[in-house]
Amino acid sequence: MSQAHTARSSHSRFERHSRFERHSSFERARIRTGVAFLVPTTLLCILFIIVPLVNVVIYSFHDWNGVSKDMAYIGLDNYRMLPSTEGFWQMAVATLAFAVGTTALVIVLSFILALALDSKNRGRFTRGLFRTLWFFPCILSGSVVGIVWRIMYNYNNGVINAILKMAGLSPVNWLETYGLTNLAVIFAAVWAQAGLCIVIFLAGLQSISPELHEAAAIDGASMGQIRRHITIPMMAPSITINVLTTSIAAFKMYELPWLVSGGLPGYSTRLLTQRIYFFAFQSGKFGVGSALAVILILIITAISLVQLVVLRKREDIY
Amino acid sequence: MKVFKRVLGSLSLALSTAVFWLPIYYFVIGAFKKRTDIVKFPLVVRPEMISFDNYAYAIKKMKLFQALGNTGFITLVSLAMVVLFGSLAGFAIARINHRGFRIYYSSIIALMVIPFIGALIPLVVLIKNMGLYGSLWGNVLIQAAWNLPFSVFLYTGFMRTLPKELEEAAYIDGCSTFGVYLRIFLPLLKPVTATCLIRAGIGIWNDYLVSASILNNVRKPTLMVAIYAFFGQYVSEYGYAFAGIIMASLPIIALFALLQKYFIKGLVAGAIKG
Repeated sequence: MSQAHTARSSHSRFERHSRFERHSSFERARIRTGVAFLVPTTLLCILFIIVPLVNVVIYSFHDWNGVSKDMAYIGLDNYRMLPSTEGFWQMAVATLAFAVGTTALVIVLSFILALALDSKNRGRFTRGLFRTLWFFPCILSGSVVGIVWRIMYNYNNGVINAILKMAGLSPVNWLETYGLTNLAVIFAAVWAQAGLCIVIFLAGLQSISPELHEAAAIDGASMGQIRRHITIPMMAPSITINVLTTSIAAFKMYELPWLVSGGLPGYSTRLLTQRIYFFAFQSGKFGVGSALAVILILIITAISLVQLVVLRKREDIY
Repeated sequence: MKVFKRVLGSLSLALSTAVFWLPIYYFVIGAFKKRTDIVKFPLVVRPEMISFDNYAYAIKKMKLFQALGNTGFITLVSLAMVVLFGSLAGFAIARINHRGFRIYYSSIIALMVIPFIGALIPLVVLIKNMGLYGSLWGNVLIQAAWNLPFSVFLYTGFMRTLPKELEEAAYIDGCSTFGVYLRIFLPLLKPVTATCLIRAGIGIWNDYLVSASILNNVRKPTLMVAIYAFFGQYVSEYGYAFAGIIMASLPIIALFALLQKYFIKGLVAGAIKG
């Protein structure tokens, strides 16, 4: 009895000891060094990401012009005021139309392109070359793309109307027509974004084992059937990723759409990001601007959470 | 029939690529042409049209060398921070087995979600309060901070794949943890560093928002801010604008050409893992 007791107690002492052992003095020194390694990253991220993030929420509850010392707490008034600010609903519609339109066009275009590039008729070199060609605009800055497209859309002197005239068509007022200008901005954004999705789609397509297609072909499936029943289901994860990342990019875009259309005509192409910038740096309404910024952060966080859930589900694949 | 389909497929691919490249063709030839030629013959370039006047004018008007210096300084210094701090943090998270590091990792990764423009207003206030308004250093610190989460993500992912035996021998030989990072891991990090450099480099080089909000656009222009000099309410001289955007983009295009392989790798990794 007493012997058993000693054995148990010595056993538990051993266990406690081993738990301690796992973080031996060597381990503890390593952990201390590791923590030191995190210091610069942590400081920078706290100071320049987390602090501003907390502050934008705080500002959004205050009436503040950004300069004066006194910030008046006004609760949710900035948010309540938003719908009555000039052009708010036009902005909401324009932002949503821009995000949805850009995403839809980018996905369709890049999926078709990726399929064309994945075709086994193409050699490695051709595939790489075309992928680079389609990717190229993604390296250019939003400002560069915006300036180029604005010039191309010019009514009298732009290249697009020049081509229309050469084809015997009448020129189009791309940047001063309600509705059409939204489309014009979307085209420029699609041009700048498609390459990213093509690369992702192509990587996805090339990871589908060719045996699957062969087996289906042997069983007598047509090309259309193979696409519908093998390629698209296998590509579902890449499609989801591309839809989510493209829509996030579209919600975040600032200078490209601004340079193409300047938000005109009226408020019809003015986006959420451009309103944030306007309230903060042109009209000095930091509170209202911050409320809009909080809304943008919430939209993007929501899309990212969807992305996270989707990725968690398929974690076992990788 | 099959051959016909194949030819048709290749033809439509070539044609759509040509249409897609039209804007680039247009501004590259336009940069060498006078305004009247750009408007009258938008898609044609003949030897007698070519001149370098646009470049000469654009270099002066956008203060090219000053802007290049500013953008270059911001990009180089912030990239150095992104690589150094990111690899240190990634090393700690990936190679030291403690729950705390894993929790830390999740919180850093979560920061990748936040849109920069959402935090822009308080950031400008912060930079003013720190006395960094108008200074390139404010720009450097912001760029470093906002690019670090992705860098930590890349380095952690890469270093997790390396075998454990790698550092064990070094520790037994009495090497310090920092020594292991410096002598064993750092030399192995070249590919992931290339990915990190090109990915963050493009974003920093092409940035407009940070520079426009916290620098004095006249006294300290960056390249992407300087090209706005050609973009008043009335863009009249297309040739200047084209020459300007080409010069502003060339360095980053060259870097991309060098590191393209790594860029694609990082893109795919980022999309698959988060």
